[in-house]
Amino acid sequence: MNTSTEEQANNIIFKDINKSYSKGDNTVVVHDKFNLEIKSGDFVALMGPSGLGKSTLLHLMGGLDRPTTGSVEIGGQRIDNLSESKLTRWRADNIGFIFQSHHLLPVLSAQGNVELPLSLTPLNKKQRQQHAATALTLVGMAERAEHFPKELSGGQEQRVAIARAIVSDPKILLCDEPTGNLDRKTADEILALLKKLNNDFGKTVVMVTHDLKAAEYASRVINLEEYIAQGQQQCVEEELK
Amino acid sequence: MSLFELVLRNSFRKKTRFTLTCLSVIVAFFLLTTLAGIDHALNASVSNSNQYRLMTSHKISITRSLPINYQQKIKALTGVADASYVSWFGGYFQNEKNQLAVMAVDHHSYFDLFDEYQIPAEQLASWKNTRTGLVISQSIADKYDWKIGDKIPLSSSIWMNKEGVFNWEFIVSAIYQKKDGTTDSNRIFFQHLYFDKARAYARNMASWFSTKITIDADAEKVSKVIDKLFDNSDAATRTTTEQVFVKEQAQQFVDMAMVIKVVLIAVFFTLLLIVCNTMIQVNRERLNEVAMMKAIGFSSISLVKQVYLESLLMLTLGAVLGSLLATLTLSQVQQQFIDFLPGIAISPSHYLTVLILAISAAGLCSLFPAITIKKLVISETLGAKS
Repeated sequence: MNTSTEEQANNIIFKDINKSYSKGDNTVVVHDKFNLEIKSGDFVALMGPSGLGKSTLLHLMGGLDRPTTGSVEIGGQRIDNLSESKLTRWRADNIGFIFQSHHLLPVLSAQGNVELPLSLTPLNKKQRQQHAATALTLVGMAERAEHFPKELSGGQEQRVAIARAIVSDPKILLCDEPTGNLDRKTADEILALLKKLNNDFGKTVVMVTHDLKAAEYASRVINLEEYIAQGQQQCVEEELK
Repeated sequence: MSLFELVLRNSFRKKTRFTLTCLSVIVAFFLLTTLAGIDHALNASVSNSNQYRLMTSHKISITRSLPINYQQKIKALTGVADASYVSWFGGYFQNEKNQLAVMAVDHHSYFDLFDEYQIPAEQLASWKNTRTGLVISQSIADKYDWKIGDKIPLSSSIWMNKEGVFNWEFIVSAIYQKKDGTTDSNRIFFQHLYFDKARAYARNMASWFSTKITIDADAEKVSKVIDKLFDNSDAATRTTTEQVFVKEQAQQFVDMAMVIKVVLIAVFFTLLLIVCNTMIQVNRERLNEVAMMKAIGFSSISLVKQVYLESLLMLTLGAVLGSLLATLTLSQVQQQFIDFLPGIAISPSHYLTVLILAISAAGLCSLFPAITIKKLVISETLGAKS
């Protein structure tokens, strides 16, 4: 019972999301009355053609962007109406980001990069080092802890980025094309790592990808094109009723 | 990984750019500190002068002489306590590189008016009784190893003596000490009486008069009375307080200082643009990193703080090195210019000004990056909308 409540408490819920951008004199509508619920502990692959707003959804989930209208609720808390400072704090506590480009700081070693999010926590230096070492071990990069990004391969850099994303133990991992720049073998290793984090540590993983093979690692695949079409069909049917 | 460690690593990320920008900061603060040292010397000479002493020179130019009989006429005026006269001799020792500030003075009255020169009574008496006697400062005595009784040949590029030569023979009769560390300690004095008798021309004439007024006298009124007294004579006068006189003499340097100040402002403005541009460029190059740091929970304020500290590090380092270099240079220049412009020094408050300037400039240089960081949209910077 408790587990179920806890799981529900970490669900990601989009309610009637509208998202549009101004482009010159025109307004580009990316999402219109979009609804979605992702259960806590799920591994969701968001797929579909470019331009449908997959990354936009990911950014809305991570509090990097706000919907024009509608609400984004995560863990029972609306995040779309939080102030900038509260949203920043919330991101630090709840979300781990993994991007196609790892965006590691070149001046810091792997250890330093992984320690970076922990500098926002009250942990002392020794604790930060221990946490970072644990995260690096988890992603199989313990031996490369003192290496700088330029000394690492693409796959290794992405592993360090994953270690950085999980080091502060967030509930949700948001991955935007995490294997987009990697060869098949390395991509599989990264995806297996994400699967492990989902299975063994209960992280909710939401991954935007174009790669069908990558989607096989997910427990739920959402083809956004079909999902939106279904949603529109449902809306029409509901209106007809 | 502390914030300061990150700032340090980011600062030295591009060493050549950091070094070149830092060099421009060093040059600017070097100029600022050097000017402060010169400014100190110019202001010191004005503030050390006496407001109870008047200076009377020829109305047209200080290079023109006045009859020495003006002394008695001035002394007779109400509000005047004493009056003396001086002629500029100039002079140098052995070669023209050793320029000296030598003056012929009325030996009866001069040191009564100028009591800031401390001379032992017996030495002063000896000087008054020695026609060719010199009064020199302790620093001059130390510099040239001159002692009382030494015969000193001095040359003048202005005054020829009756023998038709520019070489004059003197005897060191007295050595004065500085009273409070501010009195010009590079002057040398000898008797005007000897000067008048020995020089080939312009006898019974003096370069200027110094008048001591009584404490209750109004300096401006006495000045006007003196000038009015000689208004219709061949040698009309212009009288001011010593402070004004020194200020006017220093004005030529002050004007030069003003030019330097204007140049310095331009240099500083350019420096500000250079550092501003560097910080904008740095921020632009790291936009993805900044966006990532924002995404993982760094606040805009924390990121702006990093940019500010980076600017501050560069400016402070440049300011400290520039000021240090200027201080070392000035300590050498001070020795070279001691006769020409004494009092070159850096006041401790200048270093505080330097620090405030560096802190403020760092703030200004962080302004544009701060706006960019604040306005940065993470989703637009990190990923395309797919």
